[in-house]
Amino acid sequence: MPVTLVKERFPSKVGEVVLGATAEQGGTRTSTIVVGGDNLLPFLHFEGKVTNRPVIAMEVTDIVPPWNDAIKAQFGDVLDNPAAWAQKCVNEFGADLIYLKLIGADPEGFNRSPEDCARVVKEVLAAVGVPLVVVGCENAEKDNEVLAAVAEAGAGENLLVGLAEQDNYKSITAAAMVHKHNVIARSPLDINICKQLNILINEMGLPLNRIVIDPMIGGLGFGIEYAYSIMERARLGALANDKMLSMPMICTVGYEANRSKEANASVEEFPGWGDLAERGVLWETLTATALLQVGASILLMRNPEAVKLVQRNIADLVDAAVGA
Amino acid sequence: MAACQVKFMPESRTIEVEEGTSLVKAAAQAGIYIKSGCGAKGSCGACRVIVLGGEPEVRATGKLTPEDIARGVRLSCQTFVHGDVTVEVPPESRLQEHQVLMEDVQKGGLLQETEQDLLDKFSLHPLSTKVRVKLSEPTLTENASDWARLQLELRRVLAAGAKGVEIPLSVLQTLPEALRQAQWDVSVTLSEGEDKYTVVRVEKGNDRPPYGLAIDIGTTTVVVYLVDLSNGRVVDKQGTYNKQAKFGDDVISRIVYAVDAPGNLQEIQRAVIDTINSLTEQILSRQKLEPDDLGAGVAAGNTTMTQLFLGVDPRYVRLEPYIPTMNGVPPLKAKEIGLKMLSEGLVQCFPSVASYVGGDIVSGTMVTDMANSEEIVLFIDIGTNGEIVLGNQDWLVSCACSAGPCFEGGGILFGMRAMPGAIERVYIDPDSLDVTFKVVGRILPVGICGSGLVDALAKLREAGIIDRAGNFQMEHPSHSERLRLTPDDKEFVLAWAHQAGGDKDVVITENDVKNLIRAKGAIYAGIRSLLTMVAVDVDMISRIVIAGGFGNYLNVHDSVEIGLLPDVPAERYEFIGNSSVKGARLALLSQNAWHEAAELGKKMTYIELSVGTTFMDEFVSALFLPHTDLSLFPSVIS
Repeated sequence: MPVTLVKERFPSKVGEVVLGATAEQGGTRTSTIVVGGDNLLPFLHFEGKVTNRPVIAMEVTDIVPPWNDAIKAQFGDVLDNPAAWAQKCVNEFGADLIYLKLIGADPEGFNRSPEDCARVVKEVLAAVGVPLVVVGCENAEKDNEVLAAVAEAGAGENLLVGLAEQDNYKSITAAAMVHKHNVIARSPLDINICKQLNILINEMGLPLNRIVIDPMIGGLGFGIEYAYSIMERARLGALANDKMLSMPMICTVGYEANRSKEANASVEEFPGWGDLAERGVLWETLTATALLQVGASILLMRNPEAVKLVQRNIADLVDAAVGA
Repeated sequence: MAACQVKFMPESRTIEVEEGTSLVKAAAQAGIYIKSGCGAKGSCGACRVIVLGGEPEVRATGKLTPEDIARGVRLSCQTFVHGDVTVEVPPESRLQEHQVLMEDVQKGGLLQETEQDLLDKFSLHPLSTKVRVKLSEPTLTENASDWARLQLELRRVLAAGAKGVEIPLSVLQTLPEALRQAQWDVSVTLSEGEDKYTVVRVEKGNDRPPYGLAIDIGTTTVVVYLVDLSNGRVVDKQGTYNKQAKFGDDVISRIVYAVDAPGNLQEIQRAVIDTINSLTEQILSRQKLEPDDLGAGVAAGNTTMTQLFLGVDPRYVRLEPYIPTMNGVPPLKAKEIGLKMLSEGLVQCFPSVASYVGGDIVSGTMVTDMANSEEIVLFIDIGTNGEIVLGNQDWLVSCACSAGPCFEGGGILFGMRAMPGAIERVYIDPDSLDVTFKVVGRILPVGICGSGLVDALAKLREAGIIDRAGNFQMEHPSHSERLRLTPDDKEFVLAWAHQAGGDKDVVITENDVKNLIRAKGAIYAGIRSLLTMVAVDVDMISRIVIAGGFGNYLNVHDSVEIGLLPDVPAERYEFIGNSSVKGARLALLSQNAWHEAAELGKKMTYIELSVGTTFMDEFVSALFLPHTDLSLFPSVIS
């Protein structure tokens, strides 16, 4: 007897968000990226269509980052030059986007001015043709100034800027509205706050197709299963036509995976754990692949070796869809 | 200081105030509310009046033009009474209360308490009656005992049939003198139970009616009605805070206190009895009656309140699996618990359903008459606990959710019961943030009650003073001085001190708003959970009956807008006020009602919300204005 596959049909789909703008669209990008759009649970291609493949945004910081040497060594001498670094990510490592993190703005650290930050953004925009994600230093007050300057400097480029959070979403949303960018809405692993924040931002007048959800995640071994279930809930909400949960999701994989001791401790310290270079790559890779399975659209990644593995994983998953 | 006369035109209303009172404050005392954007600082110019006569002291004229000043225009906040004054308050300076009221009526969302009386259905047959009998004097040949003589006559008058007529010892002890002093013409008060009458008082013959008490024992407030048992009329009513509040705001903290140390249970029982007795005393002195005139009482309270009222250890109500000591309560005599009534008088308590659905809900359910309805009715009692009953003539389910005392004024900085001085309606102009309000008793406001808080929350949101999460938006385009930051909190001024009965501005704080959102979230989550568990869609409900002591009105439009109540057409809503005390009155007046109450208590199925995750999921989704699932509130969003 032939087996009939039970197919689930959902009434709605994940919303699509366009990032970047080409010359015709008023920007200077050589290509744009569309994320979201699926009407199925991730990669269940017999039930629907994988509309847009997940993308990788490689992390670039405006000052030399405090990362471990196993990662830093792979970038050579560009870490003090964001433009060259971004170029390397795109040209050598195949990054779909650049995730520029302006940690130099931190008042507790370098305390760079909003103008300096805006200048770095312009340099990176000039150096690469891919769309850009720009986030601040996670000091709410400073970010409000910095991101306003960034939004203005990047006007026309259709950036993805962040982070809008429950207690601090207004100025960044306003800046994005004025200069026509997209916003990352970050909620602390909480589906209700996620929804509330989307409603609040939307009520200010930013269209829903200009919001990307950052659900916050835990790296492998640090609560990834919790992130998984929150993301699954959001995806099911989107498919069930909950418009306030239907935005594509961005996951800060590179940041979370590399915070763990497991991604940083040397083999001398923990002889049983094996070589750090390989372990760090796998830690980030596994964090990324797990979250791909639950619907991540944009992966923020750091380690070029991990990027390579995840690119292959994405290709396999999407090709399977094409093959079917 | 000297008293001066101030006359307000065009009303021609004259009041007497002390010299040096500002005109705006004098107007408020006369019940005329004048606009004030700046808080009586003389800077906004909204409070213009025209001085027609007298020489008030003018301290500042602000932005008034020389022409204005020449024709007598003054700023009422900067002009002070000095000698007798006549002042015209032009329409543009007045807070336009009537417009606002009209607006709500047009929206169809403002419900006044309905006063439908179910007594017709149940028929008047009170728990206590009073009859006047004239006995023949005993003689040497007609020598039956005093009691036999009285009993015989009572049996005849009452047509007692199979029912016995009894007399307790304490009344018997007073009987010989009572009969003889009255020269055998006596009025006898009796309480009537299932199978017998009991004589509770014998006094000199008179035609005064028998009275009874209907008592609602709320966790936060206690209300007593004095009822004329001969015709069912509510003669007087009085409410106050439950004196147990000093032991904790909610039933849990009361239970914890009651069982904490020996003697506490008696102390906490005493507190509620004292509360009831002080209310009774106030009513009795107003009505020139004596405690002995009160022949019966019926009390309705939640399970914990009932147990504490009776001095029954409540500890197992709190501990899993949450078992009350009893549901039905045996008939009591007033002297057993120390109520200020006729000491032999009958006291009945409404039966409970479960630990967290008590006699007050059984009482309210009876008032809704839902147990006789073919269609599905939803009954929500908004008190310290939100209790919800759903069903019809065939089935009834109930649940309880802990909402906290917000809607009764607890946990809110300027919160108060719905009594004179409470702001009960609020309107905020979205551009200027000027506030119009209506106060219970039309006196100066001193606080805000539940219905006012519902209004305020909706209006704060509409005016953009708070966002949907309840956060204050300090950069409001109006730059109104009403929106301000204090060392403790962010707050919004509802009434400036000069418009208020106290000496402080009446404000609502961000903390108040967050408390209100939690309270409304709990109630809405309870409704949703109950509907989910019995798989009833909100559209299948024909009538939603709201009860609660939060005000004289229920603003359905605003209640839906803040997500307190389901988004269904306003016509389906009905507001019945304090249903618990109303049910107590019915039971006091009708044996049939009392029997129905007993049956209702047994018929209701209780659903424990703390089992499973449905309630908690619903609760966190509801902590938003109106809700994180906007599809549940289509009328609010569109």
